[in-house]
Amino acid sequence: MSLLESSDVYWNFLGQCTQCGHCTPACESLTAADMTLGGIAKRLLDAQRNASSAEELAVELASDPQLTQAVRGCFFCTSCKNTCFAHNDVSDLIYHARDDYQKLGLIPRDTYASVEVDKEWDIFTAYRAIWGIDLTDLTRHIKTEAHDAATDCEVAFFPGCSLAAYAPELTREIFETLDELGGKATMIDHCCGSPLKSAGFFDRAEALCDRCCDEIASSGAHTLVCVCPGCKNAMQAALDSNGMDVRAISLSAFLLEHGFTPKHPLPEGSYCMSKACQDRDGSCLAATLEVLGLDEDTVEIFHGCCGAGGAVNSFEPDRVDAQTETKLSFAPDGSTVVTMCPTCTYTYAFYLMGRPRELGNKHYAELLFDTQIDWDLVFAQLQGMWTGEYGPWLSQVFA
Amino acid sequence: MNVHEMTNDAPVAIIGFGAAGFNAAIGLRTNGYTGPIRVFSNIDTLPYSPILTSYYAGGELSYEECFPWSQAEVDELDLDIVHEGPVTRLDTDAHLIHTEKGGYPYSKCVIASGSVPTPVGFPRDCGYDPLMLRTMDDAERLKDAIANPGCTRMLVSGTSMVSLKTVEACLNRNFEVTLVGIMDHVLDMNALPEAAARFEKGLAAQDVALKLANPIKGVEVIEDAAHPLGRRLEVTFANGDVESYDEIFVAHGMRNNLEFVEEDSIVVDRGVIVDGFMRSSDPDVYAAGDVVQGTELISGDKRIVGIWKNAAAQGACAGRTIAAELAGMEPTRPCAESLAMNTISVRDTLFISAGTIQLTDNSHVEVEDGDTMTVVRIFEGEGDTRRLVGFNITCDVDEPGGDAYDLGAMLTMRLCEDCS
Repeated sequence: MSLLESSDVYWNFLGQCTQCGHCTPACESLTAADMTLGGIAKRLLDAQRNASSAEELAVELASDPQLTQAVRGCFFCTSCKNTCFAHNDVSDLIYHARDDYQKLGLIPRDTYASVEVDKEWDIFTAYRAIWGIDLTDLTRHIKTEAHDAATDCEVAFFPGCSLAAYAPELTREIFETLDELGGKATMIDHCCGSPLKSAGFFDRAEALCDRCCDEIASSGAHTLVCVCPGCKNAMQAALDSNGMDVRAISLSAFLLEHGFTPKHPLPEGSYCMSKACQDRDGSCLAATLEVLGLDEDTVEIFHGCCGAGGAVNSFEPDRVDAQTETKLSFAPDGSTVVTMCPTCTYTYAFYLMGRPRELGNKHYAELLFDTQIDWDLVFAQLQGMWTGEYGPWLSQVFA
Repeated sequence: MNVHEMTNDAPVAIIGFGAAGFNAAIGLRTNGYTGPIRVFSNIDTLPYSPILTSYYAGGELSYEECFPWSQAEVDELDLDIVHEGPVTRLDTDAHLIHTEKGGYPYSKCVIASGSVPTPVGFPRDCGYDPLMLRTMDDAERLKDAIANPGCTRMLVSGTSMVSLKTVEACLNRNFEVTLVGIMDHVLDMNALPEAAARFEKGLAAQDVALKLANPIKGVEVIEDAAHPLGRRLEVTFANGDVESYDEIFVAHGMRNNLEFVEEDSIVVDRGVIVDGFMRSSDPDVYAAGDVVQGTELISGDKRIVGIWKNAAAQGACAGRTIAAELAGMEPTRPCAESLAMNTISVRDTLFISAGTIQLTDNSHVEVEDGDTMTVVRIFEGEGDTRRLVGFNITCDVDEPGGDAYDLGAMLTMRLCEDCS
């Protein structure tokens, strides 16, 4: 048996890579590591070849700073994949590498303890519990004291962790609209598993998606509306692998299909679209532009990660700020940056809190619905969690 | 006939040791096949990447960097590599592969023998052997030619990817380069005129002289003691112009290596006809790479799409199919349908394409001409049946990770979704 659990994945990647080196300058992390994508697979297999036990392999890998940089410094923005002549799938490679790193004990627990989103407590559920955010009336497919478990839902709504935690009223407003436009709705109140994958818990991420699928199946819904393109991708893959006849669709596309009219006119001014890196084929971007009434030809669109991807902040926090700054540098002062993933909105809001600019920062849902996200409140509450009465409990839970 | 062995457990044979052959070995090993694998290689080196040969010739990569896989990796795959020159005959009845030195039995065989460039259309009897590019030997010859201080004027004939990378290699050595083609535009197999025209502007800005729709008609080797090479090449073009060059590079087409396949032993059209699992008409013969006519994504027809990515994917599929069948199971994961996709840059001028540029009555072309980029999208059908079937992007800037690459990846994904 191979010491690396994903040895076959690395072999297959190695076989597909010409080692032309074109990917390296597309990525700061690869450049810092001076590695190609195929080089990552090569070095993992080299380390395996040089080791006779898991312990030796762990030492081999830990003593290769370039490889560690390449594996843990990845935002999953896919700039390297896009630049690769063969579009070799970097995400698959890095997710598996992190999985192997995790299994070999090479990713410290304190870097992911607060985002083990398949456990009872993570940063989002703790935030909601501490600040009294209760959305259980929206999870109609789960029996509560107030309602029985519904099995006749038409639409399942997947707000994702950030939106449900930091924008509960907006979540509720979107839910009501879906209920009105698409028929009886319910809310899937879980994470898509992205933070788990970033931390190297591939199996747990898939299990979490499977749990979501079970809930969707029990609700009877045939449409899953996702706010974030990343959630949509992860859930569509899980739905497909579970053989379910359920379509995952972005909120923008769903609203377009159902003739939704924005709750208020788009404020005048210039807009910059921050394309989510998980929106690989640009379909969410296209639908978002259309539902907002923005013209692709006149709106600045910028690509690349906001800085939140891949849990790089747990490895190279400085690079996250640099990445956010780079991305926001495309937006001129006075404009509004429109995000598609609520975590991007959060990341920009956090950055702008420390380095204020004349820049609007809106999730597209804020431009379509009445409720706006109060980031000042969110950050105050996030900070307050740790310093208030729940601080010691949090420190213990996430230790 | 010297038959080296004859057992019931004859090795799986792989004819050819390029991307398809190497990935067939990986496919076998990563899918549980632990038996013998015999590879027939007509080179004495590790497998090289033909894509990188122009980078080597142009001085951008070292010789060693042209070999994607190490000896340690080849060793780990546990391959018996036969270096006896090209395979001369594949006897599917006797399950034997012949080289000049003898015959080797096989249980299953993957044909992954690739292709070679052909100078078709070049005047063969002119006394000059044109430069071509596929193998490392070709690359060495090209490198020597353009490193020769006596050589300063290069004529590149053909406007394909290989030709254009050769143009770049010559530009990197400060050559005077003329690019000649039979068609009106460069990249005639990949680009519609709007995208090609922008690429041509980029070439012209780098002082590449273009002679399009004006192919070589004749070449005469003129002995010239005053010339550092002791001769010059006088080229007559179709329009009657005559010009002198030091060397001529030719990339006029490719021919696949299937001479060893006996007539009627397996179904061959322009390449070996295979199913989705890379199986030929013979139940023990599979094929992958440039020799294969597999299902093409856009048309659904059986076509040769000779690019690295397809060769690697097809080789891996052949390997895992054989591993499954030898284990008494049905293969479950067919190969993705072939898609023509190319990326090339000549210094700062970048071209990305995927899909088809063959226009039909049902086609609709959208051209977007921007400040730095021309984007051509080719659609088929109307309304709900409208699908993206091809695109070209030509960009004046080659920025890795930049907008052109992002758009290219996005359109490639959309095309695959539309056509799957």
